[in-house]
Amino acid sequence: MFTTGSKLLIGSAGAAWVFALVYGIAQGGTLGSLGLVSAAVALSLLAGLNLFVRDSNVSPLEPEAFDASPAAQATARPSLWPLLVALGATTMTLGLVTSRTFFVVGLIALVAGTLEWLVAGWSERASGERGFNAAARDVMIHPLELPVAAAIAGAVVVYSFSRVMLGLPSKSATVIAFAVVAAALLGLGTIVGLRPELSKATITGALSVVVVALIAAGAFAGLKGERHIESHLTTGDLAAKDECTAEETEADHDASQTVASKSNVGAEIVFENDELVADVSGFGGDFDALTVVRSNPTNVLFHNESHHHARLVLDLHPALDGDGQPVGPERVCTALVDPGGTQLLTVVINRPSIAVDGGFAFVVPGSDAELKVVVP
Amino acid sequence: MNRRAIEQKVDNDVTSPSSPHVRRLVAGAAAGVVLSSCASDAPQDTWKPAGDYAQEIHDLQWPIFMIAGIVGLIVFGVVLYAVIKFRDRGQPIPDQGHGNAFVEYVFIAIPALLLAGIAVPTVATVISLNDTDDADCVVNVTGQQWWWEFDYPVDADGDICGFKPTGEAAPIVTSGQMVIPTDAKVVIRGTSRDVIHSFWVPKLNGKRDMVPGRVHTWNFHASQPGIYAGQCAEFCGLSHANMRMEIVALDAADFQAWIDNQLEPYQSPAAGTLAAAGEATFVSQCSRCHQVDGLTDADGDLVVSAPEQFVWSGAAPNLTNLMTRNTFAGGTWDLVTPDCRDDVWEATPSEFGAKYLAGVSDDCLNEIDLKDWLRNAPGKKPMYADPEKLDDTDGKTRGMPYLALSEDQINELVAYLLERK
Repeated sequence: MFTTGSKLLIGSAGAAWVFALVYGIAQGGTLGSLGLVSAAVALSLLAGLNLFVRDSNVSPLEPEAFDASPAAQATARPSLWPLLVALGATTMTLGLVTSRTFFVVGLIALVAGTLEWLVAGWSERASGERGFNAAARDVMIHPLELPVAAAIAGAVVVYSFSRVMLGLPSKSATVIAFAVVAAALLGLGTIVGLRPELSKATITGALSVVVVALIAAGAFAGLKGERHIESHLTTGDLAAKDECTAEETEADHDASQTVASKSNVGAEIVFENDELVADVSGFGGDFDALTVVRSNPTNVLFHNESHHHARLVLDLHPALDGDGQPVGPERVCTALVDPGGTQLLTVVINRPSIAVDGGFAFVVPGSDAELKVVVP
Repeated sequence: MNRRAIEQKVDNDVTSPSSPHVRRLVAGAAAGVVLSSCASDAPQDTWKPAGDYAQEIHDLQWPIFMIAGIVGLIVFGVVLYAVIKFRDRGQPIPDQGHGNAFVEYVFIAIPALLLAGIAVPTVATVISLNDTDDADCVVNVTGQQWWWEFDYPVDADGDICGFKPTGEAAPIVTSGQMVIPTDAKVVIRGTSRDVIHSFWVPKLNGKRDMVPGRVHTWNFHASQPGIYAGQCAEFCGLSHANMRMEIVALDAADFQAWIDNQLEPYQSPAAGTLAAAGEATFVSQCSRCHQVDGLTDADGDLVVSAPEQFVWSGAAPNLTNLMTRNTFAGGTWDLVTPDCRDDVWEATPSEFGAKYLAGVSDDCLNEIDLKDWLRNAPGKKPMYADPEKLDDTDGKTRGMPYLALSEDQINELVAYLLERK
């Protein structure tokens, strides 16, 4: 009644259900239980399907059909996949007592080797014709094998390329390298397009040399390490040092982490004629007060429409901890913005206005401009 | 029997349309499709618009659905005809020709014209729906795991949503239910405190994502007073399915009454009552995260919540007027009993406002779910609140933690909260 394939799948499904039950009760891990139950459901479905189609088995009571059945045909050929499976199992075991990396690599080798071995074993018994069996194997495994192989190859190339780029001594060298590589690719494509008589082997060989050279360069650059990237003071550093004044500082020259503009901001704040007003999306007209949602990163765009440099500053009045120290930054500010310039400022106000004497307000140092901020 | 004959026999036994297995499968699938259209109580039905913007979408999707349906029926019919007429009866394979170029052109031109015809009203509708200028009412909507906060700012004229409060104007903060005036263009300014959420009330408009750091605007309009159900439409973590909201539309007079009631000064419970004991319990157990505007502690100091120190999103629902709304815990449970809920939901438009504004009465309070929630919130709604598993969030919870409240404390808190309206 039960065919060989059905027995295997029914057994596997049963084992998966038992493992899911035991793991769920003993470990209580949601994700693990979900994974095992999913595997059990999938195996049960496969077992049911296999039982339904009866594994394409042939009754031995029908000699003619039995002799023609795939099982009576060619025997399986030697395979290297068991070697990978054994290597994977050993590496995985080693990884259990050494490092997670070994375990993961071993697991991947084990799963890949087992899959390939199973498909090879199945395909070699698909019919009595070796050619047909090889084609059956390709039809079964290529949709998985080719994308995975392409993804691995692509990842290796991209990773190697990125190591080379990060290892170049300067930003200019990186730009030049990108230009050279792009030109080389364009040239190669042009040659291949103009010379269709070039043999497949020639093109494959040339590309192989390029890929090997790239991987070697990537490995070398990776071992050598990334170039030194110079960092500058940020407006956060400026605020932390209480230097959000009208004076120009080092952070105003080459400030890192400053963004000029951004879409979908909470409000646009305009400084003009010694006044600050807010233009809030959804509302018409300008406001002399701005409502900001509590404990929420809110982006505002500061437009300096005055004739001199200006900086937008907001004191956050953070709560104090048990030692009297502020919980979080005390203020935020933009860099000094040129006349006609724009800069983004992200504010997070954790306390409501009722908790702060005088409330919150945006100000521009060196002027009397003030924009009240209401935090409900 | 040769191999070909065996394969044919297996094919016929297993996959023939006349196979009882296949017949049962087809019949089951067809029954499922038919039954799925029989739901009568479907508050999130996109095919029953209740406002101008939903109507615009409806007016677009009906003709497109009809065109797509007719095209689908024609294609399905032709395919079915070809499958039956030219099925394999052992006849030789017919001559394989290139085909007819004219027919190919026609079959390319017809879909192209149909798509162009659909594109024009679609683009026009998209542009129209995204016009958020000239709002009558603006509401800030903030999503976080797993509830919605609504705050009503005071505009430059001192109005809230175009209505002038009778008393002093101040921002209103509420959650779970967004109250709007009927027949008004309501613009929400939406964002998120943690992950991406999506605000969707199908009877009033389509979806709009709420993205941290960005403010997205979106329109709402309700023609009649009533409650319109919605649901977060972007997977946002463990309790995404429990992140619901409702839009409550009130006519102008009722909306004015709602605003005035929300801005009423805080009233402490009468001394010596269970509610007064609940106030003290609230201050000691709940006010770290939940704000009740006007609440003072034993020293007379204003109690200011600090959810940013305990909750990952930095916020917890404002409970100042909890019992003026009908739901709690992200709109997942009703604050009122099923009978009282039906009384509000099924009220006629003219009766709706009075019934909604009555809030939650002693008789209508859904004590069972509210007490369950206070007993063990993470046990009722899946949340990340296990104190041993909060390393990734610096000890902050995502959702309400287990507070180990005694039954006496729970009774006190319920009595206190029942007066918050």
